[in-house]
Amino acid sequence: MKTLSDVLSLHKDKIIAAWIDRLAEAGDGDSETEPMIRELLERLIRALKSDGPPDIKAPTFHDLTKHMIEVSASRAREGYSPSSTGRLILGLKAAADSAIAAEYSADPDRWRRESATLSEVIDGLSILTFEAFMRAREEIITRQSDAMLEISTPSLLIWDEVVMMPLVGVIDTARAQHIMEEMLNAISREQARVAILDVTGVPVIDTRVALHLTNVVSAARMLGAEIIVTGFSPEAAQTLVKLDVDLRTMRTRGTLRAGFAEALRLLQCQIRPIG
Amino acid sequence: MPDSAHKLRQIEIVVTREVDISHARQAALALAQALGFSRAAAYRLATAVSELGTNLVFHATHGGIISLSPLDAPGRVGLELVASDDGPGIADIDHAMCDGVSENGGLGSGLPGTRRLMDEFEISSSPGIGTRVVARLWL
Ligand SMILES: Nc1ncnc2c1ncn2[C@@H]1O[C@H](COP(=O)(O)OP(=O)(O)OP(=O)(O)O)[C@@H](O)[C@H]1O
Ligand SMILES: [Mg+2]
Repeated sequence: MKTLSDVLSLHKDKIIAAWIDRLAEAGDGDSETEPMIRELLERLIRALKSDGPPDIKAPTFHDLTKHMIEVSASRAREGYSPSSTGRLILGLKAAADSAIAAEYSADPDRWRRESATLSEVIDGLSILTFEAFMRAREEIITRQSDAMLEISTPSLLIWDEVVMMPLVGVIDTARAQHIMEEMLNAISREQARVAILDVTGVPVIDTRVALHLTNVVSAARMLGAEIIVTGFSPEAAQTLVKLDVDLRTMRTRGTLRAGFAEALRLLQCQIRPIG
Repeated sequence: MPDSAHKLRQIEIVVTREVDISHARQAALALAQALGFSRAAAYRLATAVSELGTNLVFHATHGGIISLSPLDAPGRVGLELVASDDGPGIADIDHAMCDGVSENGGLGSGLPGTRRLMDEFEISSSPGIGTRVVARLWL
């Protein structure tokens, strides 16, 4: 009697056709599907041909699993959904069923055994697929948030010796670190004596954010610059008082406008109408 | 009412990383708004969620759970915030509740501050078993 590998090999074209039909039914197939699943099936046939156990962790399956992981990761990057990628591999089970049934119908025991082997391999592959998919997505998310970090804290020279940094969004540990670096760089690059840190766009000022702000103020002072924090909302001010966070060492102003006026005062500058 | 009814169930958020805190905070704001709390009260609640969530991330070993539920006692509307974890626990609660007590260089205002932000506050903790903070805000 033929081995599972022989059966899959013998009925390869039929299996691929049935597999594509199934995927198309779910709205999944495209022009790249055929070569991709043919490649997968061929690697599966080779893996099953070897004498080793049909265990996807076995070295004989390495070639197949490596390919599966690559396919899955590249689909994640191309924006396919996880379920469509899952269906891709799961579709093989049903597609191969009729070939297996035809070959082993005379020997129900063997039929069950080979069918179970194929199921087990495909289950293992789908778990791998899912893991690879999630990993690729997480990488994308990390890369995107790194990119966001880069653009989210611009510092601007708004007057001689005055830089300003508007903060928008949540300030977590990574972002606080970035703000600190950006601020100190801007101060030394522009030789600023005053820096305005505007927190209008920060959703909540809790004790941790308050601590981060205090740290920026102390570090800037070491570079000889005064920081003015502007844009606390009335709600934030009330809450900070309840939290009993001591912001007395911090120069604060309600609005950016008042902060700018304070900056000019510190620099002993005045803006006057002409004439 | 039917439109917002789905928001008014209990919400549970697993908090293990800092991003989860934002998620919990947004859920808290939405619930407070749906219950008719003022902006100032919603902000207080959001800050309390931030504080307790931050403690879950930084003091509990594997994070914890923030749960938010509407309270509907006869004649009054409120909201309950629970933060629970199975982290190391707090050996001396009275000490941890003092202003300025922090184990990792924080300001140490998180717990006492949360008590002041909310109308009711209870904390229980067993070393080696975990910590549970229950706080309520009434409309
Ligand atoms: N969920 C928890 N599990 C274990 N220990 C905790 C937990 N929450 C708080 N603590 C302990 O209680 C102390 C006080 O907490 P609190 O939130 O008041 O201050 P903090 O987190 O240290 O600083 P801050 O909140 O001001 O940034 C912490 O330093 C920590 O030792
Ligand atoms: Mg804290």
